[in-house]
Amino acid sequence: MRTLTVFCVAVSMLLIVSAMSPANAAGDNGLVAFRVGKVITFDSDDRVINNAVVLVRDGRIEAIERARDFDIPDEAKVVEKPQAWLTPGLVELHNHTAGSLGDLNDLVYLTNPGLRTLETVVPETENVKRARAGGVTTALLIPGSGTNLTGFGTIVKFDGPGVDDMVVRSPGSLKIAQAGNPERYWYGVGRTMMNYNTRRTMEQALEYHQRWQAWEDGELDERPLFDPIYDDFRGLYEREYIASVHTQMYQVVMTTIDMLAEHLDVHTVIAHGTFDAWKVAPLVLEAGMDQVQAVVGPRQFHLDNTQRKIHGVAARWWQGGVTELGINTDAPVVPQEELTYQAAMACWYGWTPYEALRGITKVPAEAMLMGNQIGTIEVGKDADFSIWTGDPIDPRSANLMTVINGRIVYDADDERLF
Amino acid sequence: MIAVLNDLFGCHKECRSVYFPVTQETGCMKVLLAGLAAFLAGSIAVESAAAPPDKLALTGGRIITVTGDDIEEGTVLIKHGRIVEVGADVDLPYDAMEIDTTGMVLMPGMIDPQSPRGLDRPNENVPVVPFLNVYDAIDPSRLFFENSLRDGITSVHVMQGNNTVVSALSRVVRPIGLSVDEMTVEPEVGLKLAVTPRSGADRISQMFELREAFAKLEHELNRLAEEKYEESLEEDENIDVGPGEARQQGRELLRDSDFSDKQRNLVRLLRGDLSAWFYAGRATDVGPAVEFSRHLGILDSSILVLGNEAHRAVTELEDAQRPVVLDPSLYHRSRDPMTGEIEEVFVPRIIHDAGLEFALQPNPSASMAERYLNYQAAICVREGLPREVAFKAITYYPAKMLGLEDDLGAIEPGKRANIVVFSGDPLDFDSWVEQVFIDGVLAYERDRDHRLQKLLRLEREGHEVIDPGPDPDEGDTKTDRESGEQASDAGADA
Repeated sequence: MRTLTVFCVAVSMLLIVSAMSPANAAGDNGLVAFRVGKVITFDSDDRVINNAVVLVRDGRIEAIERARDFDIPDEAKVVEKPQAWLTPGLVELHNHTAGSLGDLNDLVYLTNPGLRTLETVVPETENVKRARAGGVTTALLIPGSGTNLTGFGTIVKFDGPGVDDMVVRSPGSLKIAQAGNPERYWYGVGRTMMNYNTRRTMEQALEYHQRWQAWEDGELDERPLFDPIYDDFRGLYEREYIASVHTQMYQVVMTTIDMLAEHLDVHTVIAHGTFDAWKVAPLVLEAGMDQVQAVVGPRQFHLDNTQRKIHGVAARWWQGGVTELGINTDAPVVPQEELTYQAAMACWYGWTPYEALRGITKVPAEAMLMGNQIGTIEVGKDADFSIWTGDPIDPRSANLMTVINGRIVYDADDERLF
Repeated sequence: MIAVLNDLFGCHKECRSVYFPVTQETGCMKVLLAGLAAFLAGSIAVESAAAPPDKLALTGGRIITVTGDDIEEGTVLIKHGRIVEVGADVDLPYDAMEIDTTGMVLMPGMIDPQSPRGLDRPNENVPVVPFLNVYDAIDPSRLFFENSLRDGITSVHVMQGNNTVVSALSRVVRPIGLSVDEMTVEPEVGLKLAVTPRSGADRISQMFELREAFAKLEHELNRLAEEKYEESLEEDENIDVGPGEARQQGRELLRDSDFSDKQRNLVRLLRGDLSAWFYAGRATDVGPAVEFSRHLGILDSSILVLGNEAHRAVTELEDAQRPVVLDPSLYHRSRDPMTGEIEEVFVPRIIHDAGLEFALQPNPSASMAERYLNYQAAICVREGLPREVAFKAITYYPAKMLGLEDDLGAIEPGKRANIVVFSGDPLDFDSWVEQVFIDGVLAYERDRDHRLQKLLRLEREGHEVIDPGPDPDEGDTKTDRESGEQASDAGADA
């Protein structure tokens, strides 16, 4: 990546030496066949294939077939897990464990355009290893919510050994914290001030983008000045990546939809959606689920004190018609490897296991605009998956193996973490 | 596949009660219409998501028009959210839905003349904020709005609190709708200018900051005007007028787009496009408020928001002849420091005798019935004010202050169909709000007010009704339900 700091490279060099990953599963020809009991594909037909083979070549899925109808090529290395479930690699849209917690966010101004989590990514940390052991293959690493705009996130795979091997897209998102933390900035601010200031920053960035667009379209005589503070916003307004928004509670989420999705027309992901935020479901439907998506958590229930009633957060969103619905951990708030438990919690409070599994694979992958590459088991997609003793949403199930880009990055037979 | 998983975990999609009356099948527009009628899922839910009828006739009830005579057994005909005909003898179109209100009493929807209670907090910590807008902090899910609807208040002027120098731009909303846009009746009303010191300030610094805000504006506008004037000159043209003349010419060239966010609303205030709501909490503040308003040349668009004691400046108020918003506590009690005698004054009497129009406010902090605007009006009648004035003080007068007297505040043709149906006379305290219509939509029915019905049922069955404690939405306090929740959320989240 073009902007890696010397520091990051140095750290990663050290780590390469200290933490060599398991060897590539494939033979010299890059071909490996996974023979499993069940494949949950989440393809367009929602196929579930029992007793199947997933054939991987050079990091991509080449074939998914019933085992009895398929001859495994002789030159392929075979991984036999005939009782196990193979599911798409889990995708985390809300992760703060890029580097140390000290790097969570820089609280310079109330909005901080120009900052990136990319500068803080450290490979092969304990967090990364545990995430793999939990079946998580891809994550959006985002800054915290200490101010209204804390910078740009990075989409990584939990591959290694270097930073370059991890980063899939940078910037991967813009992190906005609509309200509910930035209030503590300096001497305290409220929602009139925060929303005014956030909108102003976003509009200034939009003006910058439009100026450059005009130049590129030949409508300006003078080349605009390059501004590193605003340049990363160009991809956001081009819809190459998303705004992932720390937003929860009715009024705050309503403002998010209004300001970001409607007014500024950016692809918006509600990255908490907790408390009574599910009541804005009709506004999400109005804006369109291709414009606004909800990936909810970390808390999966809301105790409504006035009603004396517990609401399941995901279940309520789902009942409100928001069918593009995901689940997050907000790691390290809930440890990254417990993403499946988060989905199980959502089911405990009224959601459905199959949809919940989709909500930690396909939905977050599409929400981070990576749906053409990851999130399902389909021919041509990246060979990112995990292999479980049973349904991953069932807390009794254990992860046996995690594969990223066709490479086995976790194998419980070698060293089982949990 | 899904069924198998369901069986495995003993869980089905429909296994929990569907409390939120929205399913995937209802479709978006319908949902939003239901939102209009039902506001939020909860105690005031309307089960059906059908569209409201275009034409509606409320027949048979006694109509308190407020601006005209009462009509016994009258009819209000509503078309597309507006009142089109009112009278004892109205021909109904064949396609109007008729709602029988025989035995009931209809009055215009009541108006909360100014309140910060729809916001996350009453004020920002910055004292001069005319560039901010309450739009960014109105929370449609607040219990305050639900209670307003339940109490027959159909319009709320959401304005920041008194702990300020110059407040954010205020707006008028109705207590129904899923988003602020849906709630909005009038998006741009006015600014609050506080003469009474905000917390931590004294009267000298408060007035200084207030004057400084406008002095600074004047200075900046002069500078802008000079620039404009110079821009208007040809390249080889010499400046041949004095600076005063140049500024004046430049001022005329200024357009709205020339003003910064911080200037724009102040300029509009000075032009009279926005109203100025001067907060005078004590009698001593009334004089300076009026004087400063005159100094700015905006007395004609000024409203005075008074504290409980401010009626003592009645001479100044009489002189200014501007409408006032009264403190929610209508009685002022003072103890003579020498004799110990307690003197009680009924404030609306003094204001009325001074020939001023006034608006009453609900008093949410009182444990008694003062939270109901119709009760506040009833007290005025008990103290001898004309019945007509008492009704106007909760409907027509606040509508006038907001510049919305063509839309709100009376039951007459052309106005928004905001109508409260009471079981009896609104000033009798055993009357209930039975139905509330907002813009011709049935927004509230007592029979379907689940929260209220639950309380009444508990009482009927002889259960002790648990005191829920202070209203969670209320007040400037830090114990606010939401800030508490927010803090805990923030704590859990990195």
